[in-house]
This record gives sequence, C-alpha cells and structure tokens, in this order.
Amino acid sequence: MPTFNKHIQIDNKPNMAAMGVEKAIIAAAIKDSRIIAVLEDMGFPGLLWFKKNMPDRMIECGIAEQNAAVMAAGLAAEGFIPIINSFLFADVGRAYNQIRQSILVDRFNVKFIGREGVWGETGISHNTVEGIGSTRVLPNLVILNPSDSVEAEKAAEAMLQYVGPVLLRQESSPPSIRIFADDVPFDIGKAYLIKDGKDATIIATGYMLTEAIRAIDILEKDGLDVGILDMCTLKPLDDEAIIRVAEKTGAIVTAENGSVIGGLGDGVAAILSENLPTPLIRVGVEDEFSQSGKITPQKDELKVHFGLSAEDLAVSVKEVIAKREKLKKRK
Amino acid sequence: MAHDEKLIKDLEKKANLLRNNCFDIFGSTQMGHGGGTMSIIELITSLYFHHMKFDPKNTDWPERDRLVLSKAHCCEAIYAALVELGVYPKSTLKTYYCFASPFQGHADRWCTPGIDYSGGSLGQGLSFAAGMALAEKMKMAEKNANAPQTGFLQRYIVRFDPAYRSYCILGDGECHEGMVWEAAMFAAKYKLDNLIAIVDYNKFSLDGPTNEIMNLEPFVDKWKAFGWWVTEIDGHDIRQIVDALDLTNKLYGDYRPKCIIAHTVKGHGIPAWETEHIHLGRGEVIMRGIKEGREKYADI
Repeated sequence: MPTFNKHIQIDNKPNMAAMGVEKAIIAAAIKDSRIIAVLEDMGFPGLLWFKKNMPDRMIECGIAEQNAAVMAAGLAAEGFIPIINSFLFADVGRAYNQIRQSILVDRFNVKFIGREGVWGETGISHNTVEGIGSTRVLPNLVILNPSDSVEAEKAAEAMLQYVGPVLLRQESSPPSIRIFADDVPFDIGKAYLIKDGKDATIIATGYMLTEAIRAIDILEKDGLDVGILDMCTLKPLDDEAIIRVAEKTGAIVTAENGSVIGGLGDGVAAILSENLPTPLIRVGVEDEFSQSGKITPQKDELKVHFGLSAEDLAVSVKEVIAKREKLKKRK
Repeated sequence: MAHDEKLIKDLEKKANLLRNNCFDIFGSTQMGHGGGTMSIIELITSLYFHHMKFDPKNTDWPERDRLVLSKAHCCEAIYAALVELGVYPKSTLKTYYCFASPFQGHADRWCTPGIDYSGGSLGQGLSFAAGMALAEKMKMAEKNANAPQTGFLQRYIVRFDPAYRSYCILGDGECHEGMVWEAAMFAAKYKLDNLIAIVDYNKFSLDGPTNEIMNLEPFVDKWKAFGWWVTEIDGHDIRQIVDALDLTNKLYGDYRPKCIIAHTVKGHGIPAWETEHIHLGRGEVIMRGIKEGREKYADI
C-alpha cells in the first residue's frame, strides 16, 4: 500500500464532487444574503433547496448566457455575489467576451460553475476539452478544479469567500474516489502534496487525481515510488510546489481531463522550462474534440480512446523516467 | 411640468462647454469618435446637469443614479462632463489615450472614478444596467420590513421610491447584437421600471447607414413588443430630452422598463463630421471639424 501524507483518506466507493459544491453553496447562502443563484435553464447546485427556501434569491435568465453573465456583473457591482451554473461551453463559452469585458476588467465578484470534461454520452457539444486552456489566458480569473466531494466543498467555500471572479470547473467524468479527509486544508493557489515520491511525480487535477492514485498502486508493484501533487487551483498555478517536486524527482507527468493545449500540462511545462528544465509528459486530450462513449465500471470507451486510464498514466511515468535517465547519460 | 426657458438655455450653454472639452480631447490626439460623441452631447448634458442624482465630490455615492454608456467608444462625451463637473481637472482632457490616464480610449470603471461601466465590446451595457436596476429592487426590499417575504416578483417589485435609477445609453448599431434583446426580455420579465434605455438613433454605424447594414425597423414596435414603454424624441432638443426623462420618473411604478429613442445626427453640428458620418476620425478631418466647432460654439 502506498504511504500518503496527512489529511488523505482514500475510499474507493464512488464519490461525486458535485455534492460537495452543493453543500458549500447552501451553507453559504444561509449565512450570506448577498449570494444569488443566477440560472440559465440548466439547473443549479441545490436547486430544490433554493426553490423551497430561497426563491427570492434565484434569478432565472433562461437560455441566454450572455445576458446572464453581464446582468450578474451588474448585481456584483452593487454588492451581491451571483453564482452562475451551466455546462462550461454555455455559461463561459457562450459568454466568453462578456465575461472578459464586463466581469474580469473590473474584477466583479461573479462566480461560475462550469461542467466540462471529455466523458459523457452527450457527445461533442457538451463534453468539451477547451475549458482550461481558453480561460487560463484571461487575467483576473481564478480557476479551481476539485477532485472529490471533500475538495469540491472546500473549493466552493473558498470561491465564495474570495472577493473576485472565480470559475469552478466541475468535471464530467466517471465518479471519482474519495481522496481527502474532512480536515484537509484548502487555500486558493496552493497545491497539496498527496504523496511523496522518489522516482517521479504525477501532477494531477480534478478527476485525474483518482486515476493517478490508481496508477501509484500499479507502479509500486513495479518497484517505483511515485509522488502525487494535487493541483486544484489551475490559476494561479502554485509554481513553488511544482518546482519543489521537480527538484526532488526530476521526472514529471501531468494529468488532466481536457486538452493538453493551454491546460495544466502546458502551465507546468512553462514554469519548469523557465525555472528548472525537467523531463515531462503531458497526459490529457491531444488536439481533438470528444464524442459520445459508453461509461460503465466494466467498459469506458472514452477513457480507452483518450488514454486517460491509470494504466496509461503508469506507462507515461515509466517513459518520463526513461527520458530522465537518457538525459543523465548524455551529460 | 413645463421647464422654464432659463433651464433650457443654461443646459444648451453647458452642452457647448462639453463640446469644447471634446474638441480639446480630439485635438490632443488628432483622433476621436467625433460622430457618435456629437450625437449624444445633449443627452449627456441633460443627464448630468439636470436629471441624474450625481455628486461630483462623491462619485461612489450609493444613491447616485447609474449611467451605463454601452456605446463606450463615445466616452469622450462623459469625460467632457466629468471635467465640467470638477471630478477631473481640465488638464486631464489632454491625457486621452495616454498610458495610465483616467481617460482611457474606452470607458473604464476600474481606473476612472465617476464611470459606472467598462465598455467597448458592444451590446453588453443594457444587461449590466438591468443587473444594477434589479439590485436596487432587491436592496430596497431587504431594507423594508413591509416587503412581502415570499415570491420573487411579489417581494421585489413593490412600489418603493427607488434609491437610484439605472440609465443606459445604447448606439443604434449595437442594437444589431442579439444580447441587447436578451436584456430587453429580461428587463421586462423582472419589471424593471427603474431602468431607462436611451438609444442614440443616429442612423449610421461604421460601415454605413445602420438600417442598410441590418434593418432595425420597425424599431419602436420591437421595444414595445418586448414589453417596454417607448417614446421618441429629437435627441438634440434639450427640452424634449428633459421632458422625456422627467416623464420616465413619473411613470415609475408601471412595472415597465423605459426606452427613449432619441433621433440624432451623427457628428451633429459639425459639417465636416456630419457629411462623412464620421465614426473614428483621424488627422485632417478631425482637425477641420474641431476648427468648425470652435467657431460655431465659441459664444459661451
């Protein structure tokens, strides 16, 4: 069994990050009357609870994401804390310039929850891959991508406490496992070292943390001691933590449920190239859209197609270690 | 209430001061949105110097009326007003387009106290103004113990005197944007009778006549069909402007957002800019227009 650091409490039962987000939003809404649910006809975390308990703090904008985003900016300018929820392609993608112009320029306190990731039966329109890359480039935006229900609750809490625009990416993926104990500390911009390693480090975000934890088991059987760094905050990236693990193991694999272009892998690669050039492999979606696929515990067509399984990660870890050794010999 | 002649004359004089401030701005860069700025001078003058609650010494005053300039490329007109109100010294006019100046190329709330909305990407202002208008309703209900506790509309859309009103100036060209009509639907749904849209209908956008580029007509009927109260005025006639604005105050409580369609002339008053329907002018045409304008509006 791998040895994990403090505050880790692995439970392999299916775990839904969405539940954590819902819990945090309801708890915050009870305490803070500035919190407003802005709907785009695509549901809301705790929708039934809001309908029953706080119908006067729900604003339904219909399928009109551009108006919803900028109207929410107007509410935020007056001191409210609007939360918008939808698929990321809709609440962020359909209102991309509206968010840039009317929210980020003035750092208005609007919160977005955007569902995305390659997994899903719904296919190419909804299972988007470009969410991280297309938003990391935007100034003044904090991006969070929690991995299980505990981290999701903490991330949503932190999002609502932080004053300024935040995107909380909620992944469409198979159920994750439970990873964190309830007392895990959470700070925006701080990565969490889940496990130390000697041979390599996987830097994973969101659902891919679950696959990373599975990969560690596989690699341990092969005699490799591999660390895991959880990168819940995708912007700002914790460059100190990244450099620290690269110094220690000299071989990095990044893992994300989205395009490798502009995503976590690109971010880590840029930080390491500028500070500590380190052999690195980016695991994620190559330059390609997603599609429909069957997802059951027995059969996961998309995981196979995109090479996002624990087995794929284990192969990449071995490859990156081989790269490092090859470089050492050259020197 | 009929306004006396003196008020109208005073506002006309103010409008001339604003024009001359704009000439200073354009002259400093030999560039500027001469057409769209001249078409809203009387509207901006009437709002800032007669109609809106605005304290130049406290630009963040919570009860000030909000002004969202959705056609934010014409921010020169607001800068001209802010200088005339004493929010900024006259020397600021010459810093337009300069690095770290509060007078940025497009209105920017973050770096320009006195500006309510950062625009430039067209079509978004009405949604922002609607959000501010809805926020006013919600804040008033929160403060008032008599507000009904249940039901969104029941709770918020009750007749309290508004703490502030939310004004939005739109260009006609930006009404081609779909989201203007998303906002129009939204404002009607939430019965935002504290929201007043003013369309600067100058009939020209960048490529040519607005209605040849994409026909907006029947424009008044469109706003009516979306559930708005609508009136049409001559946007250069200060008496008509202040009458229309005052009427929107009187109609408060009718549960309808208000739209004033102001028929205007792009480049109004400046022959060099009127004939060319100038959008963003540069060099000779701007300088010629400034010369014409300074002669015409010198008697102040």
